[in-house]
Amino acid sequence: MDEFQEILQDFLIESFELIEQLDQDLVELESSPEDLDLLNRIFRVAHTVKGASSFLNFDVLTHLTHHMEDVLNKARHGELLLDANIMDVVLESIDLMKSLLHTIRDTSKDEGIEVETCVIRLTAIANGDSPADVAVPEAAAPVVDEAVVEEDDLDYANMSDDDVEAEIQRLLEERQASDKAKREAKIAAGEDVPQMPDADAPAEEAKAEEPASEEPSAATPPPPPPKAAPTPVAKEKVEKKAKEAPVATTVEQTIRVDVKRLDHLMNLIGELVLGKNRLIKINDDVEERYEGEEFLEELNQVVSIVSLVTTDLQIAVMKTRMLPIGKVFNKFPRMIRDLSRELGKKIELEISGEETELDKSIVEEIGDPLVHIIRNSCDHGVESIERRVEAGKPETGIIGLKAYNEGNHIVIQITDDGAGMDPDRLKMIAIDKGVISEKEADLMGDKEAFGLIFRPGFSTAAAVTNVSGRGVGMDVVKTNIEKLNGIIDIESELEKGTVMKLKIPLTLAIIQALLVGVQEEYYAIPLASVLETVRINKDEIYTVENRSVMRLRDEVLSLVHIADIFEVDRIFDSSEHAYVVVLGLAETKIGLIVDTLVGQEEIVIKSMGEYLHGMEGIAGATIRGDGGVTLIVDVAALMHMAKTVKSSASSEAGSSAGGAGTKTQPSDYKVMIIDDSKTDRKIMTTSLKSLGITLIEATDGVEALNILKSGEHYFDALLIDIEMPRMDGYTLASEIKKYNKYKNLPLIAVTSRTGKADRMRGVESGMVEYITKPYSPDYLQNVVKRNIKFSFSEESVS
Amino acid sequence: MSEKLQDIINKQQDQINPGEENMDDIVQLVGFIIGEEEFSVPILSIQEIIKPIEWTRVPQTPEYVLGVFNLRGTVIPLIDLRLKFGLKSENMTDNTRFMVMKNATETAGFVIDRLTEAIRLKKHEIGPAPETAMQEKTMIEGVGKQNDKILTILKVDKLLERDF
Repeated sequence: MDEFQEILQDFLIESFELIEQLDQDLVELESSPEDLDLLNRIFRVAHTVKGASSFLNFDVLTHLTHHMEDVLNKARHGELLLDANIMDVVLESIDLMKSLLHTIRDTSKDEGIEVETCVIRLTAIANGDSPADVAVPEAAAPVVDEAVVEEDDLDYANMSDDDVEAEIQRLLEERQASDKAKREAKIAAGEDVPQMPDADAPAEEAKAEEPASEEPSAATPPPPPPKAAPTPVAKEKVEKKAKEAPVATTVEQTIRVDVKRLDHLMNLIGELVLGKNRLIKINDDVEERYEGEEFLEELNQVVSIVSLVTTDLQIAVMKTRMLPIGKVFNKFPRMIRDLSRELGKKIELEISGEETELDKSIVEEIGDPLVHIIRNSCDHGVESIERRVEAGKPETGIIGLKAYNEGNHIVIQITDDGAGMDPDRLKMIAIDKGVISEKEADLMGDKEAFGLIFRPGFSTAAAVTNVSGRGVGMDVVKTNIEKLNGIIDIESELEKGTVMKLKIPLTLAIIQALLVGVQEEYYAIPLASVLETVRINKDEIYTVENRSVMRLRDEVLSLVHIADIFEVDRIFDSSEHAYVVVLGLAETKIGLIVDTLVGQEEIVIKSMGEYLHGMEGIAGATIRGDGGVTLIVDVAALMHMAKTVKSSASSEAGSSAGGAGTKTQPSDYKVMIIDDSKTDRKIMTTSLKSLGITLIEATDGVEALNILKSGEHYFDALLIDIEMPRMDGYTLASEIKKYNKYKNLPLIAVTSRTGKADRMRGVESGMVEYITKPYSPDYLQNVVKRNIKFSFSEESVS
Repeated sequence: MSEKLQDIINKQQDQINPGEENMDDIVQLVGFIIGEEEFSVPILSIQEIIKPIEWTRVPQTPEYVLGVFNLRGTVIPLIDLRLKFGLKSENMTDNTRFMVMKNATETAGFVIDRLTEAIRLKKHEIGPAPETAMQEKTMIEGVGKQNDKILTILKVDKLLERDF
């Protein structure tokens, strides 16, 4: 039974591979019915499937393919001209064959599918055009796995029924023996050789020799020795076939590998990339610390080799996962053909760029959306023949399917020369169906209106047909493309046609990203969406209708602060400059204000699990060189969020000058007093009391730092004692200065240490003033006033 | 001699059998403290328990979702059970642990105040969740009675379920 299963597996894999090419060939055949190469190829598929299935006792499948073969054979010999009607039947039979194969794959049986009607029609075609002898096809069945490509079935026509029976028996036995031998040889060689039943069946040899001696011929591609065929004629043909064989086998030097293994490999590479990033970071640290040491050079070399090899390895593994997009495109000629007949339109499909390669996972995901888009183009895009003639267009509508690379993306472009879309009509329908409100419609531009077709429940079709009208398909397109981080771009012109572009990243796992910082947090932005980065002065930011904008060369760019998007508390932000990352997606552009630009890094996208799946604005997470987690920005969602997030860039500009918004009264100023001595704190509070400013007290550096970090208060200045337990004033000052946002926060040392060295240390750690105890209250007041830019006179307070 | 042997075998049988019989009836739990109360979860739902490490905040999440952290290359959400249970957040101490729990589909880390012990409870010592706890929404699997203590057993599936 196991052996049977194994044969079955081989059979199925081979059959599905053959069928993939079949559809395209058939459609091509319709336009050039005389093409003998094509005919032969198609015939061969039917024949191979028939042969193998009869061997495996799939009677229904054999029955069907047998009659298919019959018709095709006629066509091949020029006895039958394949017109559209005959093609319909042939295509139908191929569909049946496919579903039979699927049933076999799922249940190991070929039951439950009705083929008789199709068989009758096939027979009718076969008989209708030529008074063929039924004996020919009947006898053809047993010629199971021989090289029959060029073989003439008529050779068997002369045999008696008994002879035929005997011949069948003999061939089957041979076949079984050879299969068995081959399998053993294969196992011995430990190789995964694609099996081609009608190309390598060295039956005689297998019978005569030990399986082990089979190994070389089974493991290496050269053609097997021709087998002794039942009739001299056949033998001749087989030899001919043997000459052809090398061509066929050298073309496909492939090994089938389970995708899971490749996925696993890809995951490992991902880990390796993370390790590499970490190594580079450590190398930088070491370089800084041991500058000039000899071993550094060696370390440098090793690190660069490792990083080079890792990158190459990553590319190599990525390539193993790449498939030509032609695999997906192949099924469309057939689909277009069927649709055009169903809809009574004339439509031609032009495919280009089918050799463009894409990651396997993407190739799998892209099929469905394309089906829906093309169906849509056929149904709604291309007009009926009459309308086309009226509009002065050629009868035949053309749908173009094109794939090409653009940077790190692949673009799939679907064009039609149909009626185009009318944005106003789309809006009307959307309002009717309750997809949008009238007010929303008024605000919509043309592009946004085209985007309506992707809304669930939206359909322009008056009635639900076989092809479309349920309002589901395009929603599927959007969901799938979004899943791939892709972009959809629609351009349409009335009466001219529609161009739809799907822009999809080449691979999903590893990307280049720009790392940006805001306060203490870091975010990674996919580099593919970054157009440029600019450093601006805060006063270059204008507010128009409550939105922040800036002038970028001769355009106006709307701005949004990353802190507003990601709810980052902006504790302090006193720098006069800001960095703007200009993001581009489809036709939209936006400027994202960030505090710092960290740099470019290769990142591995990790999912955050179901629990945090689909957080708005976050595409995933990555692990950085230091082992920390950095979130990846979802640019599309960010742009969407930017529309609703209220701008605070203007208020921020104000706050950055003073620290915390505008000061309307003296108590808006806040100063923290940090001293371990209660008396000293008391002296300071009393001295400053008359100013009316708010004072917060802390007993040591640690406490002060915690108050600062908590973000509850916005301080305008700190008064710091130097001698303190837990954390002294110098350490505190340098800790505070580590934070970007406190860079301009005035730190005033209040101390009894008067030595020059102490003052120097104070300056080094970032203190701006140095007050020595004892001091007069007036002096302290003046220093504080100067540093917080106090703008109220004392009179106004009292 | 053979009698002696038989004796020994019998004894061994006795030793094995009661164990076997009880294995099905015994629930192994890990107890931990959050706030004032002791909770527990089945030991098999715990992947590991680690000391606190750095985490990254994730925006647009409820307060009790502290963020995500890196557990040997996997990004895992971190949930503060104090906040989740409506208690006030407190600074982490030396006793604070991240308890990484998993079910069939999801893995997440939970911040707990401190671990207590591994607990073996017999099935009959576990009562149902109190009536007052809302049946659909309750996070309580049952209540275990042990000596004089009362132990709340939490539903791991519920803890790992996203509710925002």
